[in-house]
Amino acid sequence: MSHNEEHQRESKVTRPSRRAVLAAGGVAVAGVAGAQLASWAAERRKTAVFVARNQKYDGPLEKTIHDGLVACGLQQAQFQGKRVLLKPNLVEPTRLIPHMTTHPAVINAAADLFRNWGASVTVGEAPGHVRDTEMALIESGVGEALRDAGVEFADLNYQEVDWRRNRGRLSPLKAIYFPQSVLEADYVISMPKMKTHHWVGLTCSMKNLYGVLPGIKYGWPKNVLHHAGIPQTVVDINATLPRTLAIVDGIDCMEGDGPILGSLKRMGLVCVGESLPAVDATVARIMDLEPSRVSYLGLAAGRFGPIDEPSIEQRGEAWQELVSPFHILDEPHLKKLRATPAGPLVS
Amino acid sequence: MSQLTRNLEVLATSSSWGYQLDGASAAEPAALACLALACHGRHEMARLPAQWLVDIQASDGSVGVNATQSAPAWPTSLAILAWNQFESTSGRNEFSSASEKAIRWSLEARGKTAIQQAHVGHDTMLNGWSWAADTHAWVEPTCMFVMALKASGHMQHERTREAVRLIVDRLLPAGGCNYGNTIVLGQELLPHVQPTGLAMLALAGETSTDPRVQKSLNYLEQQLSEGTSTTSLCYGLLGLAAHARHPKRAASWLEDAAKRLEQLGPSSYKRALLSLAACPELSWLLPTKPSTLSAGAHVS
Repeated sequence: MSHNEEHQRESKVTRPSRRAVLAAGGVAVAGVAGAQLASWAAERRKTAVFVARNQKYDGPLEKTIHDGLVACGLQQAQFQGKRVLLKPNLVEPTRLIPHMTTHPAVINAAADLFRNWGASVTVGEAPGHVRDTEMALIESGVGEALRDAGVEFADLNYQEVDWRRNRGRLSPLKAIYFPQSVLEADYVISMPKMKTHHWVGLTCSMKNLYGVLPGIKYGWPKNVLHHAGIPQTVVDINATLPRTLAIVDGIDCMEGDGPILGSLKRMGLVCVGESLPAVDATVARIMDLEPSRVSYLGLAAGRFGPIDEPSIEQRGEAWQELVSPFHILDEPHLKKLRATPAGPLVS
Repeated sequence: MSQLTRNLEVLATSSSWGYQLDGASAAEPAALACLALACHGRHEMARLPAQWLVDIQASDGSVGVNATQSAPAWPTSLAILAWNQFESTSGRNEFSSASEKAIRWSLEARGKTAIQQAHVGHDTMLNGWSWAADTHAWVEPTCMFVMALKASGHMQHERTREAVRLIVDRLLPAGGCNYGNTIVLGQELLPHVQPTGLAMLALAGETSTDPRVQKSLNYLEQQLSEGTSTTSLCYGLLGLAAHARHPKRAASWLEDAAKRLEQLGPSSYKRALLSLAACPELSWLLPTKPSTLSAGAHVS
């Protein structure tokens, strides 16, 4: 039986979850997320995206993130007693390319903030290209940083899993499997690195959430998702998760042959927002990419959040003043993403 | 008593085999525990995970990732290795039926091939094994199935031969390999220790003269150190041992890794790998019985 058939079968079968409490909680939060999605689509209200400039890894990042969340209308009381899962990007870490992965200082700043706000915080990741998660933690420096800060890490590749109905319904997958820490979370906070991506142009908060899916079900790489359609599954995963937020490490970024082998580009930015499509659209504009031409943002627009400029309320710095075109590979599928046709390329 | 010896003692008294401390049993850790215990002569205790793997085996012969997830079934390969090794070292013929069913399933399972594209460096038409059904073949599952088929006496089967060609094809020009891409959009990708070690294990006994094999072994020798993470260290050392390369400090690296892990609360998965890497012989890679299928045989 094929993997897709398996998903289809499971979507048709109503059966009690093996972990009833866990499942009940998961259904509840997925319901909340779904209701919010429907609410946004119905109201088409503006959503806020906060951008801070002149940021450094040894600077007051906790305050920056705090200011960003408050500027986007989020309050401490919302997080009191909640389970927060921070999801950095540790796709294929190597200490030779530190600008590939979310910096530990940003992760710990977010962890400190949410703990101070009364939440229980876990950092979780299912590295997409490496089975040895301990290696990923060593090479990225995240393992040592989390130990020093006393923050728990969840290896999402190998946890027990359960499935949820695919709420995005853009790909053929009828159900999506999530690991225990994701199903138990009240908030999943995407903490990506601001990078170019050699297939889809941009990887930021939405694409980063590929990394909550367990390798034990989807493989290394998560090839099941590739075969089901990358842009479609990016939106499907985002639509099916519990409530999400974005905190983007845009301080030391990657341009050119991202998401692994690109070059360092220093931007000094931190971006925060409640709507992941809006955050990613703002980041795309800063990189000189046209958001509507990024396949998964185009699919998300109108379904999962806004990407058009009039629907996004800019807080903090105005993106127009921050535009610094990122090099992209000289490939037709990437060149067409350029907001400015004469933008820089690398061969 | 060394930490590695204590590690083996703990493994021998375990009744569940998970990826995480106190985690539920999963097929890969169970198979590795069986292999490690059998290699160290602990047959009675090796029987427990071997039987658990039979208990979760599906009627079609496949073994899913754990008791509740029958798919994907890439651990079928490791279950075959475990059952073979148990029978070989214990002299007890308890799991032949399970193993034969699993081999038949394995020979039918295959990754998806794809028409060659200019921006991808590897041969996308070569057939191996995928992580999940209906997806492309990747290095690590292909290595696992190659090891299982070789140990089961199917070294010359056409599936094994093609898969060996796939593994060599996926080695990076500079040596080593990653999950299974080599060159993408003109850029050579990064090697990693764990898949490279596994690839070298799967290529044990092969006579390939491809220079990338030696480069890969050299890469492993250069990368391994006292600071290498546990599973990468174990697979790296196993891969080198499969080609008669034995770093002088291997034993102390493993002992240090076991001590570090003990402080963190190691899982059965890592205990088993440490014990397996500390085993002086790689008998579990060798054919334990003559093939019951002719070379290139198609099974229905």
